[in-house]
Amino acid sequence: MDDRKIQIFLDSMLPLLKAGVAFTIPLAVVSFILGLLLAVLTALIRLSPWTLPKLIARFYVWIIRGTPLLVQLFIIFYGLPAVGIILDPFIAATIGFTLSVGAYSSEIVRAAILSIHKGQWEAAFSVGMTRGQALRRVILPQAARVSVPPLSNSFISLVKDTSLAATITYVEIFKTAQQITATTYEPLLLYCEAALFYLLFCSVLSVLQNHLEKRLDRYSAR
Amino acid sequence: MIEIRDLHKSFGPLQVLKGVDLTVEHGKVLVIIGPSGSGKTTLLRCFNLLEQPDQGSLALADLKLNFTASGKIPQRSILALRQRTGMVFQSYNLFPHMTALGNVMEGQVTVQKRPKEEARKRGMELLAKVGLADKVDAYPHQLSGGQQQRVAIARAMAVEPEVLLFDEPTSALDPELVGEVLKVIKQLAAEGMTMVIVTHEMKFAADVADQIILMDDGVILEQGTPAEVLEHTTNPRALQFLNRISGEDI
Repeated sequence: MDDRKIQIFLDSMLPLLKAGVAFTIPLAVVSFILGLLLAVLTALIRLSPWTLPKLIARFYVWIIRGTPLLVQLFIIFYGLPAVGIILDPFIAATIGFTLSVGAYSSEIVRAAILSIHKGQWEAAFSVGMTRGQALRRVILPQAARVSVPPLSNSFISLVKDTSLAATITYVEIFKTAQQITATTYEPLLLYCEAALFYLLFCSVLSVLQNHLEKRLDRYSAR
Repeated sequence: MIEIRDLHKSFGPLQVLKGVDLTVEHGKVLVIIGPSGSGKTTLLRCFNLLEQPDQGSLALADLKLNFTASGKIPQRSILALRQRTGMVFQSYNLFPHMTALGNVMEGQVTVQKRPKEEARKRGMELLAKVGLADKVDAYPHQLSGGQQQRVAIARAMAVEPEVLLFDEPTSALDPELVGEVLKVIKQLAAEGMTMVIVTHEMKFAADVADQIILMDDGVILEQGTPAEVLEHTTNPRALQFLNRISGEDI
């Protein structure tokens, strides 16, 4: 590598890092938290006895899982203005990613709840708990432990998927790399550098996942 | 104290209870025995409505419930009944994410809304009573089966139930751990706790029971004192069961 490329690489680090910290991470974190709430809600509805809400929840999961995320983002950001709904790129991206996390993760949460032995429900009922109390105090805490590895997968995928937001003018890591490429004409260098930042963020998440699992493992013999 | 009349329960086409009548007096111990598939566990689970009967009635002191196949029991009555009964399960079913003390405090805090300090104090007392004062901070997986079952008994006692229900409390235990659990149950019986116990431990049943019910095929075959049922029955099916059981004991 010649000096000019090294210089471009170094000069690009700060803008890419800033884009990551100020745009990629907030989008991923906000979408994941909202998505997780939506996922728990969807999972609980699907496990409930209410016919119509169940149908709506299944329809939602079906639509989101059956259509490409990129197309969903385009509909939200470029499509909705046609009916008078104009959204800021961050809001549009957050809506798109939240819906996506909510649909995929609802299956994880549902499976985790179903994996908890029936005896746990009965023990909770036998001391007089309502369904809600049993869920909150007994079932969900155990389901949470089961779902940490698959949910970590979802979060890591989400961090990488935020690069799709570049296509709806959200200036995160990938979009920043594109912009620098446009002036320096070093696509190989800049896109590899952007990839390194994603790798860095995802590595941090893997470490956090291990910590979380250890913390939650204090009560199990595994 | 507890009165059950004409109780019926089916699972699909399978009739598990075909009209059961029984009474448990306050402070007495009723033991239910019978071959597997006789409906004894289902009957026990009707006491706190983990199974809802299709027909008949159940009364716990002033709380009276009538069952019909289509009628739903109000949630309020179900919760009231469960708060006045305690259950000990064959496979303990302790909450694995809580310590022994946490398990015993949970019902008191979440259901009875007792202050944490009070619940902790009562939890400690109960764990001491079942001989586990030194295990309050242990998680279930750190305890032996017998210890877990004793925590489960303390948990069931914590909400001050009017009756304790035991579903084969020693069936999942290694033989050498059975004694410590039976000892705790006997102690409770001596203290005048009202209990209904499903068990295969015949010697224990004879020891602890005021009244024994022998079930077969969804009905009560024999009922009476341990001597009447275990020694003096003339019912051929009852004799057949008792002979088989005593054969297994040897």
